[in-house]
Amino acid sequence: MTCDRVKELASGFVLGSLEADEMIGIEDHLATCLSPHPEIEELGGVLPYLAISLPPVEPPAWLRESVIAAASADVVARRRAGVTGSESKRSAVAMELPGGAQPGQAPRPVAAEVAPSSAKRGRIVSLAAVRASRRTVTSWGLRAAAVVLLVGFGALGASNGVIVPKASPPPFYNIQPGTRVAVLNPPSTQSQAAGLAILMPSGHIYVTVNHLEAAQGDEAYVVWLAAGNGAQSKVGVLKVDGSGTGQLDVENVATSPDIWISICLEPNANVTVSSGPMVLSGTISF
Amino acid sequence: MRKQFNVSSDSFVPDGTPEGESEAELMRQVAAGEIGGLEALYDRYHAIAYALALRITMETGLAEDVVQDSFMGVWRNAGRYAEAKGSVRGWLLAIVRHRAIDAMRRRRTGYALGEDTDEVLPTALTLPDIWPEVAGRLDAEHVRRAMANLPPAQREVIELAYFDGLTQREIADRTHAPLGTVKSRMRLGMVSLRDRLVGDFEEDFTPAAPSSNGKKGPV
Repeated sequence: MTCDRVKELASGFVLGSLEADEMIGIEDHLATCLSPHPEIEELGGVLPYLAISLPPVEPPAWLRESVIAAASADVVARRRAGVTGSESKRSAVAMELPGGAQPGQAPRPVAAEVAPSSAKRGRIVSLAAVRASRRTVTSWGLRAAAVVLLVGFGALGASNGVIVPKASPPPFYNIQPGTRVAVLNPPSTQSQAAGLAILMPSGHIYVTVNHLEAAQGDEAYVVWLAAGNGAQSKVGVLKVDGSGTGQLDVENVATSPDIWISICLEPNANVTVSSGPMVLSGTISF
Repeated sequence: MRKQFNVSSDSFVPDGTPEGESEAELMRQVAAGEIGGLEALYDRYHAIAYALALRITMETGLAEDVVQDSFMGVWRNAGRYAEAKGSVRGWLLAIVRHRAIDAMRRRRTGYALGEDTDEVLPTALTLPDIWPEVAGRLDAEHVRRAMANLPPAQREVIELAYFDGLTQREIADRTHAPLGTVKSRMRLGMVSLRDRLVGDFEEDFTPAAPSSNGKKGPV
């Protein structure tokens, strides 16, 4: 690759639209060439302005809180995992958590204290807002897989796969039309927990989760539902066995077109408002 | 106070324009794990980030995921951000574009959107932003006018490359134009756009011959 050839291909390079061998050739040339290549920087400087040519669009309001909740969960997850690579991140946990919990102390509830501004507003971040780390493509694929697995569950009585409950199958796996399924994912890849929530049109909900960490003391895994307006309601407490498999089966749950479900590790089973870190969450969609 | 954007507003915060804390200070906060820094960055750039993600993915749900992933990429990799290498806005938008195009490619190939635990961008997407002094006097309308004044064929190839992530060869297939013509249009369009935006930038290089295959199609 010559300097003249780099100049000729500079526009395609900064746009990332060259063939792979051309991209590599230019990168190699720039890494070793002693001559300046101002054309790369000048044309590269155009790129942000291509985005700015778009009219700004306001995303849904919950996205802000979702981003902040995911970042906060990331901090807590790092701390829980004992990640020592960033002392600044560790100290940030104490700084961000009202009450100033120090590293080494029991983590303060993240769901209730996801950000200083939230704490200042004196309210708990809605479960709808912590629809964190959802991956649309993944979710739809998993939802499809979940339906297949559940159908197979009834037919074969099998219990294989990551998100298939290890314990007894749902007592109502003769799924009614209109039944909705949510794949429950953790906010962090550090967690192995995964689960399913099945909501029948009648309001009968079944939740099953695998790979839960053992709760300590009075701690309990509580299932919460939040409607689209952010109002949350307590569904119940997961019964978790020694293998980390938890299940909940509740009838007469209020349904709405847009529901987020989350499972939080609460200080005890009697809480009426979520204050513990979110372990899993998912969207129950039509 | 939280800054609000709306669809009807073309306002944006250009690089180097003081509005509250500087970008460098915000990035220092983010790198230190301070949530407030991330909040401020989100408030400053969420609308343009979402607009870009939406333009590329053409789907609100996927665009929301991309924006969240992108800000998480900033959160997790802020320590790697080097101020000397460009503006935060340019870095963030490069991440958004990269993630959005990646999401669309994964969708086409059936792969799920991956976790963004280690935001490594191609070199071409992390170019220094050398225009901070120019940004202060550019507004969105100026940029839009510069784009609109490009010859349509040149604008088309730039948009197909930037917003759709197509290679020059794919653009040639899409537009039924010879590859050499696409290369020429892209080169002329980018140089023209640079000149229109910067205006008084010194011409440091001259566009080379328009075609690598010897053919010279209509430009």
